[in-house]
Amino acid sequence: MTVGIEYYVLLSAALFCIGLFGVLTRRNALMFLMSVEIMLNAANINLIAFAFYHGNLSGQVFALFTMALAAAEVAVGLGIILVLYRNFRDVDVTVPSAMRW
Amino acid sequence: MAVLEMPELTALAPPMILALTALVLFTYDSINPRSTNRPVIAGVAAVGSLASLAVAVWFILAGVGTPVAEGGNGVFDLFEGQLIVDQMALFFMIIVGVVTALVSIASYDYLRDHAYQAEYYSLVLLAATGMSTMAASNSLVTIFISLELASLPSFALVAILKSNRGSVEAGLKYFLIGALSSAIFVYGISLVYGATGHMQLDAIADNLGAAEEMNGLLGIGVLMLIGGFAYKTASVPFHFWAPEAYEGAPAPIAAFLSSASKAAGFVIAFRVFTTAFPLDVMQTLGIDWSLVFIVLAIVTMTVGNFAAATQNNVKRMLAYSSVGHAGYALIGLAGLTVDGGELVLGAAMMHLLVYGFMNTGAFLFVALAEYWGVGRTFEDYNGLSKQAPIACVALAVFMFSLAGIPPFGGFWSKYFLFTGALEAASANPWLLAVAAALVINSALSLYYYSRLVKAVWIEDPVLERESLSQPTGLYAAIVVAAVMTVLILPGFGPVADAAIGAAGAIIP
Repeated sequence: MTVGIEYYVLLSAALFCIGLFGVLTRRNALMFLMSVEIMLNAANINLIAFAFYHGNLSGQVFALFTMALAAAEVAVGLGIILVLYRNFRDVDVTVPSAMRW
Repeated sequence: MAVLEMPELTALAPPMILALTALVLFTYDSINPRSTNRPVIAGVAAVGSLASLAVAVWFILAGVGTPVAEGGNGVFDLFEGQLIVDQMALFFMIIVGVVTALVSIASYDYLRDHAYQAEYYSLVLLAATGMSTMAASNSLVTIFISLELASLPSFALVAILKSNRGSVEAGLKYFLIGALSSAIFVYGISLVYGATGHMQLDAIADNLGAAEEMNGLLGIGVLMLIGGFAYKTASVPFHFWAPEAYEGAPAPIAAFLSSASKAAGFVIAFRVFTTAFPLDVMQTLGIDWSLVFIVLAIVTMTVGNFAAATQNNVKRMLAYSSVGHAGYALIGLAGLTVDGGELVLGAAMMHLLVYGFMNTGAFLFVALAEYWGVGRTFEDYNGLSKQAPIACVALAVFMFSLAGIPPFGGFWSKYFLFTGALEAASANPWLLAVAAALVINSALSLYYYSRLVKAVWIEDPVLERESLSQPTGLYAAIVVAAVMTVLILPGFGPVADAAIGAAGAIIP
């Protein structure tokens, strides 16, 4: 028995919304990064489910690329969070607010 | 499957030269990270970007990318259509090459006290590689990968002054919004892939509407893609990062991001929406994306220009003006109609080229002011012309060109945008509103641009200053940018022909 494609899309949409909720409400930069990771993985679920549905492999291969890029993004992000902590003694994203319009 | 034939692959020479230069600098950095041999490091970066620029110019003159029917060497389709080297790709590779060269030369003086030199230039060149590849990307896979290749070094570059709180704050904000928008963008890609089963842009166009029940997903996917483009081009609704990132970043990096990165964002938007989502098919599916771009163009230029008019900080004013200019370039997509639009799309490409010179130059003048340490507000710039007349003449050229005063390049590209929008208005009356917004916003922008010119030329300095030094690299970059902003005027005929030809080639 195969699971219908719409369930996969629902799962990934739910994950995406959970991630988006985290991005909008969390003040800790690390939690923010984790929420973004959830959003990226929601896209991965979609890609793999649709690759199975369409019967071609480009979605699966692209999911591998997405994972690699997510890792690279975390590496750069953690570097920035590290200098943030050195300068502000905090990883709260609402603390640096010298520039406002 | 002979994808590795040398002659085909050489069509990608401009981004490959940039990548090679980045790797040379990276090797140098790993061997000797604390080297302060600035002439060699900055020289390698400048030579690499100039070589990439020269090859791109040579290609476009030699007819690479021009269809064989028009007497060219043909469009190069690489890796089964994943990358494509056509006129538009070369046009934007030229913009990226110009801006990278100017920024590398100017950084020579700006970074005189920086501890890790080679790392900085290596990141600049890597980001430029990503932007240059974005120009040639012809599949959602290559678009996403090259977009990330351009973004990740940019995050690090904005935050590169590690002990400067402003730079770190800017880097954090840029990174947070960048990570969020890339997640939205890749989710949009997954939905488009779900609806069509393909990632290659031409294959997407062939399979649009193949599965009727998926059209809703396709619409949401297209909207999410627009969100990703809006972030990269600093347009509404993802423009919030721009003022913060540009204000906190080192000024040459602000110049780099606001000119090259914006142009690269536009080239992928142009290619995706003309190749993968042809307007006539999308309208029958009920997804009329030109309406979205009409609204975004009007809102972006209005928000950018009104916010710029209220600023006291020069760099922040330029940042908001760059948001406004993203709105002007968005007219290129808003003005596309079912059976035309190459004039307005070509005008947007011209505007991005001219903008590459004038906006880079304006930010480099800010870099010069930061080098002197004169301060950040309009008042701090008062009377600079007495100490530095040449740079201030250049600044006046940039400002009047950005405002679109007739003798300069900025006027002509805006003029073409205006006539293109009016021409398209016969098919879509909403474009009259876009054209009106363009005129009103240009008139408003004259106020804050001329305010800066008035400060440096007419006002008397608040405090007496010592005579100011004349750093060679920054001066050279500013003067070249100013000369090109003026010289592009007699050369505007060929530039316009190239841009309109490139636009006509990608419109189905």
